[in-house]
Amino acid sequence: MIRGAWGRDPLLPRAFSLLAVGPGGTADILAKTVGRGTALLERALPGAEVDVLGPLGSNFPEPQADTTDLLVAGGVGLPPLYMQAAVAADRRQVARSEMIYGGRGGDDLVLLREMEAMGLNLFLTTENGAVGTKGLVTKALEARLEHHRGTPIRVMGCGPNAMLWAVARLARDKGVPCFISLEEQMACGIGVCLGCAIPARSRPYRYVCSNGPVFDAADVLDVEVTAAPVAPAACPA
Amino acid sequence: MSAVNLAIETGGIAFRNPILTASGTFGYGREFEGLTDLRALGGLVTKGISPKPRFGNATPRICETASGMLNSIGLENVGVEGFERDKLPYLRECGTRVLVNFFGATFDEYVDCGARLDALDGVDGLEMNVSCPNIKAGGIEFGTDPRVLRDLVRACRAAIRKPLWIKLTPNTSDIVALAVACAEGGADGLSIINTITGMAIDARTRRPKIATIFGGLSGPAIKPIALRMVYQVRRAGVSLPISGIGGIQDATDAIEFFLAGASTVQVGTQSFVDPDASGRIVRDLEARLAADGIHDVRELVGALVVK
Repeated sequence: MIRGAWGRDPLLPRAFSLLAVGPGGTADILAKTVGRGTALLERALPGAEVDVLGPLGSNFPEPQADTTDLLVAGGVGLPPLYMQAAVAADRRQVARSEMIYGGRGGDDLVLLREMEAMGLNLFLTTENGAVGTKGLVTKALEARLEHHRGTPIRVMGCGPNAMLWAVARLARDKGVPCFISLEEQMACGIGVCLGCAIPARSRPYRYVCSNGPVFDAADVLDVEVTAAPVAPAACPA
Repeated sequence: MSAVNLAIETGGIAFRNPILTASGTFGYGREFEGLTDLRALGGLVTKGISPKPRFGNATPRICETASGMLNSIGLENVGVEGFERDKLPYLRECGTRVLVNFFGATFDEYVDCGARLDALDGVDGLEMNVSCPNIKAGGIEFGTDPRVLRDLVRACRAAIRKPLWIKLTPNTSDIVALAVACAEGGADGLSIINTITGMAIDARTRRPKIATIFGGLSGPAIKPIALRMVYQVRRAGVSLPISGIGGIQDATDAIEFFLAGASTVQVGTQSFVDPDASGRIVRDLEARLAADGIHDVRELVGALVVK
């Protein structure tokens, strides 16, 4: 959770994934301006102070020597998968990882040279066709799932939730284990505000901040919300 | 020994200082382990407990608003049994006063829940949330009708021996009448205020920003309303001590509530912004009083100057 010295407005810290962790307690994040909080972060000058609470939550399963990981990133959802690939590269297992990375246009795809330098196989897609294959990441994922059919593979995704559900359904239909890093409105990041609830099979709700953000897709995909007892609508707090 | 006295006995409980944490913003205490020193706080108020566990509302449940946030969590909680089994052992050892917030869907549920919590060792006091819809009365909040509120407080009072505070809803045209009703029902203290019902709309999607359409507004945006209500109750001469709640971010905010008439304050939404907010307010309050030559925080309570 990151917040600058913004006074009273915007009030809440913003959740970010770590892109990379450097020596001496430094860390990189990838930010895209989508609202006032991210706009203020983007405008922050070098040396500006920010409050950081973290790292929080869960991570993707570690790379395994005998398994191919299909990393599916949508736009600014790249960071945790970039870090996953970096971990694999450090362990000289990067040949077992593939990055399927999509955006609306070419400007949405960043850090390509860095990922190439890791030796990572990149499969790029853009909705306007400016870079890579024209279309959505799910199309590219389908082709890679087909390519690896019959070998041990896992899918790991991060991006807009709609993309993640599509990725998770595709993996489920192919019988492939899938882990997704979800996004939800949250205030605290530590399991207190209970704002970031996600309907789950293992419990009526799980929390993106403290149980996630990375979930086994089988636990959270297509869960019937009606199964959870719902409070009277007029009861706030 | 500190040169400044922050200790205060109020609402039937002796606190080491007047900074508490508000229900629903501090979990069951343990979530803040390592993030703030619970032993430095005056006390904490737990998430609201109901007789049975509740799983809460559909999502989205929260959204940020100007200098505040809306929430409609749906009073999700572990229930009395889960609280006793899983949460209370930690709270017994946590080194600060523990008030347990509670509620029910009916009179009987309120009384049952309050009585069961009252019997638990490690609970220093109870805070009753009366902002729940009374199903039998067509969904009107228990806490908005002074007669219903008085009867509810009286019924709970008869079943509860520990200090009983009532957390008033601000969704009323007459906060004083509600405070008087609580005094008549035999309460030991008032917590003023709960969240204010509000709404947020996404102009692009044309949808409400939270699933239940309406939610409770909290944060610095509501501080002027909370101060006004604390002061109104104080000025009306209601005999009960007040715990002030609403947008408290720093020691100055806390002092403003003391001046308006609160003898303790509860830090709410700010704990989301900074998990150590309440601890920092305790430290800053002590330093501020020392710098101002005020030897006892109790000097500030109700010391508003009105000409």
